[in-house]
Amino acid sequence: MSQDANFSDGIIGLTFDESTGIATLTLQMAGKVNKIDAAFGMGLAQALNQTATLAGLRGVIVASAHRDWCVGADIDFLYGANDPAILLDFTRKLGALYRRLETLGVPVVAALSGSALGGGCELALSCHYRIAVDLPGVQIGLPEVSLGVIPGAGGTQRLPRMLGFQSALDILLQGKVLRASQAKAAGLVDELVPDVAALRTAAEAFIAAHPAAKQPWDLPGYVWPAPAPGSEDARNLFIAASGMLYKRTAGVFKSPEAALSAVHEGASLSFDRALEVEQRIFVAVSVGDQAKDMIRTLWYHRTAAEKHEGLPRADKDGIRKVGILGAGMMGAGLAFLAANRGYEAVLKDIAQPVLDKAMEHCGDQIRKSGKHLDEAGRQAIRNRIRPTLQTADLAGCDLIIEAVVEDLDLKHRVTREVEPLISTTGLWASNTSALPITDLATASQRPASFLGLHFFSPVEQMPLVEVILGKQTSQETLARALAFCRSIKKLPIVVNDGYGFYTTRVFSAYIIEGAQLVAEGHDPVLIEWAARVAGMVVPPLQVFDEITLKLGRHVLSQAERYIGKIDIAGVDLVRRMVDDLDRPGKAAGRGFYDYDGGRRIWPGLKDLAVGKPDQTGVEHLARRIILAQIAQVGHALQDGILMNFRDAEVGAIFGIGFAPNTGGPLSYMDRQGLGNVVAWMDDFAARYGKRYAPTQILRDRAANGMRFFPLDSPPT
Amino acid sequence: MSDAYVFDAIRTPRGRGKDTGSLYSVRPIDLLSGVLRAVRLRNSLDTSQVDEVVVGCVTQVGDQGGCIARYASMAAGYDYRAPGVTINRFCASGLEAVNHAAAMIVSGFADLVVAGGVESMSRVKMGSDGGALTDPTCQWDVGFVPQGISADLMATLHGITRMDVDAFACESQRRACASLDSGAFRSVVPVVDRAGLVVLDRDEYPRQETTIESLGKLNAAFEAIGARFGLDSLTRRTYPQVERIQHIHTAGNSSGIVDGAAAVLIGSLEKGLSMGLKPRAKIRAAATVGDEPILMLDGPVPATRKAMARAGMVAKDIDLFEVNEAFAVVPIRYMREFDVPPDRLNANGGAIALGHPLGATGAMLVGTLLDALEERNMSTGLVTLCIGGGMGEATIFERV
Repeated sequence: MSQDANFSDGIIGLTFDESTGIATLTLQMAGKVNKIDAAFGMGLAQALNQTATLAGLRGVIVASAHRDWCVGADIDFLYGANDPAILLDFTRKLGALYRRLETLGVPVVAALSGSALGGGCELALSCHYRIAVDLPGVQIGLPEVSLGVIPGAGGTQRLPRMLGFQSALDILLQGKVLRASQAKAAGLVDELVPDVAALRTAAEAFIAAHPAAKQPWDLPGYVWPAPAPGSEDARNLFIAASGMLYKRTAGVFKSPEAALSAVHEGASLSFDRALEVEQRIFVAVSVGDQAKDMIRTLWYHRTAAEKHEGLPRADKDGIRKVGILGAGMMGAGLAFLAANRGYEAVLKDIAQPVLDKAMEHCGDQIRKSGKHLDEAGRQAIRNRIRPTLQTADLAGCDLIIEAVVEDLDLKHRVTREVEPLISTTGLWASNTSALPITDLATASQRPASFLGLHFFSPVEQMPLVEVILGKQTSQETLARALAFCRSIKKLPIVVNDGYGFYTTRVFSAYIIEGAQLVAEGHDPVLIEWAARVAGMVVPPLQVFDEITLKLGRHVLSQAERYIGKIDIAGVDLVRRMVDDLDRPGKAAGRGFYDYDGGRRIWPGLKDLAVGKPDQTGVEHLARRIILAQIAQVGHALQDGILMNFRDAEVGAIFGIGFAPNTGGPLSYMDRQGLGNVVAWMDDFAARYGKRYAPTQILRDRAANGMRFFPLDSPPT
Repeated sequence: MSDAYVFDAIRTPRGRGKDTGSLYSVRPIDLLSGVLRAVRLRNSLDTSQVDEVVVGCVTQVGDQGGCIARYASMAAGYDYRAPGVTINRFCASGLEAVNHAAAMIVSGFADLVVAGGVESMSRVKMGSDGGALTDPTCQWDVGFVPQGISADLMATLHGITRMDVDAFACESQRRACASLDSGAFRSVVPVVDRAGLVVLDRDEYPRQETTIESLGKLNAAFEAIGARFGLDSLTRRTYPQVERIQHIHTAGNSSGIVDGAAAVLIGSLEKGLSMGLKPRAKIRAAATVGDEPILMLDGPVPATRKAMARAGMVAKDIDLFEVNEAFAVVPIRYMREFDVPPDRLNANGGAIALGHPLGATGAMLVGTLLDALEERNMSTGLVTLCIGGGMGEATIFERV
């Protein structure tokens, strides 16, 4: 047996098998994950230096000692990087190390035993061959743009040279993360193996078969995958890519634009200098405000919410059987989600056709999401859903999710009827989007076990759940409900009770302001565009049509019972649309929009204006649309609905599509300056109505120069 | 200071700009040297007296790279002491060359200049010089859309319909065909090969058989890229109020892709007379403007205003207008803006019927205008073109 060289105590361990000539670099950073920071760079430099001295070196395998292979940049480092010169220096050095790895002169194989993301994926791209273990949970991709940055370690240069522009841009511009099998299909990895044990054999086989492996772009006569840079097809592709991107983003997001620029510009350059172009673009984007605002919420806050930081924990939810009352879209979706995670789901409705439709929906979902299962596996999920018209079938449920029509009396009735049947430790959750949980709980014999679980539609896609505590809801109830939410993979925010809670108050303000602006005489086309320019994911009139004006009208009249009359022209406009003009929304094909031959603003809408605006324009409307919502965020803070700042951001972005580019309403206020925001709100309150008036908590914080989140360190 | 005079203005016929077009077999340098040679021979020009050969050419790569003006003039037998310069102002490059020449004369920097333009669109593809127009970074920094989308945007903004543009296109075809039949294009000189055989002596792009019905059957050319690939959305940064662009421009109501070249002999009166040249027209005024780049094609309006102001004229003082038919919407909008009677604008048809050889068109229109003024015994005329990047250029001529 040969003597192995061993430098295995570093951040990147090195072992050398003299019999095969293969050096293994093992990523083994302290802690649980390998992430890229200054220490990683030093470790890689040291490991490469040592590798270069090895006599008889024939190949290198890059492996990981952790569950993941490498998860990319250390976000703390990236978030704190404000000095462009320092960040560029770091990025260049890292780029040179990756370059050194791929030009060692021997084949280098990435043995992807776990996920390779962002800078980790770029490290894999700097190897000559990528072998991934085909197991669920192994993710490969370049998600940078979803955090407001771009790949900075060669991703925008290596990927198009490997896959061609089209395939590379598909991944880069959407920040795609793929499962191992998808990554293989996309060309991101070269080979799949069934388990970790098979990795090494496959890697050694590649090394043996390709003693002179080089990157394609380092070979003489390298030809780009078609279309070639500068060709007519490539020109057309870049114009189309710009257009499609702008159509999707309305120019709001800087990072995908920057990624496209980097791909385009680097394509015509020598490889090393192309890396430099990428690095300079990466740095400019990374030190920018948008990157910081997006990282704060979409990374820090989202991760904290995912981990339920600061929330009570239950080891188990104690739930086996879930009863869902009401088999509409929401009920059906919840039944699927529960069954899919192994719960027994009883789906109760009062109408057989509704149940039939619901089961059809569940079948579609199972087919769609269960592609990796065999028919028996899919059938098992289907078998766990039991549609029924019989209340008695709910007996022994450990959790009831009530998703019946938004009617206090009806909800009280079903509570009285069903609650006695469920298990003694059973929880009761109402999926109401607005009615106070404490009021609903008056019908309950066990208000401590009663809470709100406000899911969003379509529930299979919308990540958020707004958990609402009634006055008497116990911490144990909350902990168990949270455990259930974790189990069905929903991102929770936890709020106190009050009409509309947090998200519905803000969302209602958003869509009503849309109607109000129409009533004031603003061009509806301009209103919608302004919302998109503000960053709102779906413009207000469009989303109002989707939830239907009819529902909106119902909710508005209900709301008046709790928050008094909302005396603005927009409310009356919604009433007229539904009652007088028969334009109830998208489902009917008639709402703010016409839907014949593609969605277009209904031309008659302009005639419903009751006045002429003294000021209009995209910028003005965008600010009105944002501040109308911010005013409600202020109320949620003032009234103690929101328990922390994190939930304000997570709830707004993941629940109601509040402008992700801003990082959320509180980040928006920090970025604009709370003093400015308060002054704008006072101005708007004087001109457009008291709904804009800032609450005292905003005034006080502004007066004291307080920020919601620290300027230079991660939020806590 | 002296005035600038036009002594001669000629052009090649336009060949269809693809590999089946007659002029595909002719190098662009030969297209250009052909008209330069004709200017030399028709005027018995002592080319050692030429202070400059300034030529417009848009796509200056491949066969059109390497300062084509310099090598075409020497190939045309010009004295090497006559220097050459090639310029690019997109679609108005040919008129820019004329104005450039006129400015040199007026300033006293030169006494005799040959201006011109050339474009072999069959050989050198539009856009093949790359640059800003396909660079995403430029898209984010400044913004641009393909011109057809600008044309459809302009029609949408001004309520100009498919029927309007098709009717205009049909009339352009009718006028062009009538002019060809009557020999109204007196400025055309044939393109010949090395053996002196005629390759093309007549514009080959016009379609006699065009009707409004046949035009109505054509697909809107920019609908797919505009709507499907999202390029329409790129206009919204500047035109947020336009919810949807009506796509109405087709291959039948937009300028044709063709090959061709033109040359215009320009000088001071004294210099011309001393060389035995006869002046045809005086250049009264010229103007170039920048305009909003997404709408892009509306530059002729402010350029015309600026040129007329310089000349102390109003629209009614102009007898004939040549407004380049890049897309039918451009002259339609122009006519409405200046209240021009239809028979005074593009009297012999325009680029929809005849084609638009990018760098050459502006210089070609000078000859077309002077031919038409002389035929009708009229006095003043104006040439204007819309320009990529949102510019406009206009020049006013007065017969002498």
